Amino acid sequence: MTTVERIIANDAGGLEEIVRLVDELAAAHDLPAGPVTDMQVALDEVLTNIVQYAHTDGAAHDIRIRLTVSPETLEAEVEDDGRPFDPLTLPPPDLRGALADRAVGGLGIHFVKRLMTEVRYTFVDNRNRLVLTKRVADQGEAHGSGSS
Amino acid sequence: MAVDLREEAVGDVAVLEVKGRIDSSSAPVVGERLTALLAGSGRRLVVDLAQLEYISSAGFRILLLAAKRAEEAGSRFALCGVAGKVRQLFDLGGFLDLFPISASREEGIAAVR
Repeated sequence: MTTVERIIANDAGGLEEIVRLVDELAAAHDLPAGPVTDMQVALDEVLTNIVQYAHTDGAAHDIRIRLTVSPETLEAEVEDDGRPFDPLTLPPPDLRGALADRAVGGLGIHFVKRLMTEVRYTFVDNRNRLVLTKRVADQGEAHGSGSS
Repeated sequence: MAVDLREEAVGDVAVLEVKGRIDSSSAPVVGERLTALLAGSGRRLVVDLAQLEYISSAGFRILLLAAKRAEEAGSRFALCGVAGKVRQLFDLGGFLDLFPISASREEGIAAVR
C-alpha cells in the first residue's frame, strides 16, 4: 500500500498537479484504466467545487489531498478549510429536459456518487473532509494476476 | 496540456478531433475553439471524441453551450466517437439522447450536411 500526500493551492494549477499525480501512481502500481479514470473525474469535480465555492474571501487556501493505492482500492481524502459543505446532501440533478433548458448544476457531484464505490463526508476541526473510495477489483480480473 | 485539438475541413464541414481529457483545466480551451468554429450562422461542425479519454462536468458544460449556440444560430452540430468510458459518462449525465450523436465520423459529416 502506498500513501502520498500533497498540499495544493485552491487554483487550477493545483488541480492539474493532482491529475498528474494520479497518473503516476496508477502507472507505478499498474492499475487498470477504468477505475483510475473514474477517480480522476471524481477528483476534478470535487476539487473544482472547492476552488469555485468553498471560500468567499478571495484569498489563497490550502487543500490537502491524501491518495492511497492498494491492490484492491484507490482512495482519495480531500480536506479544505472552506465553509462547511456536505456535497452528498445535494439533490440529484434533473437529467431530463431539452437542450434549451438543460443545466449542469449538481452534475459533478452526481458523477462523483455514481463513479465511486463509496463517498464519505465529515466535518472535523473546522475542515471539510471527503473520502472517495474506488474498488479496483470491480473492473474484472483481467489485470494484475501474478504481479508481486 | 491535457487536451490536443486537431481541426480538419471536409468540404464545408469542420471536423474537430479532441484527444486527451476535457476536465476543468482544459475545458476553457476546447470551449474557445468550439465558439470560434460555430461563430456566425449556418456552420457545420462534427466533434470527434474517439480519442477522448474522459470528460468531466466542466466539459459537458461547454458541449451544452456549443450545442445551444449552434441551435440558436441555425448551425449544425454533431458528435461522433462516443465510446467506452466517454460513453459511460454521457450515459450517467443523461446526455446520450440530448446531443446529436453519430456512430462514425463519416455519418457525423453526413448528418450535418
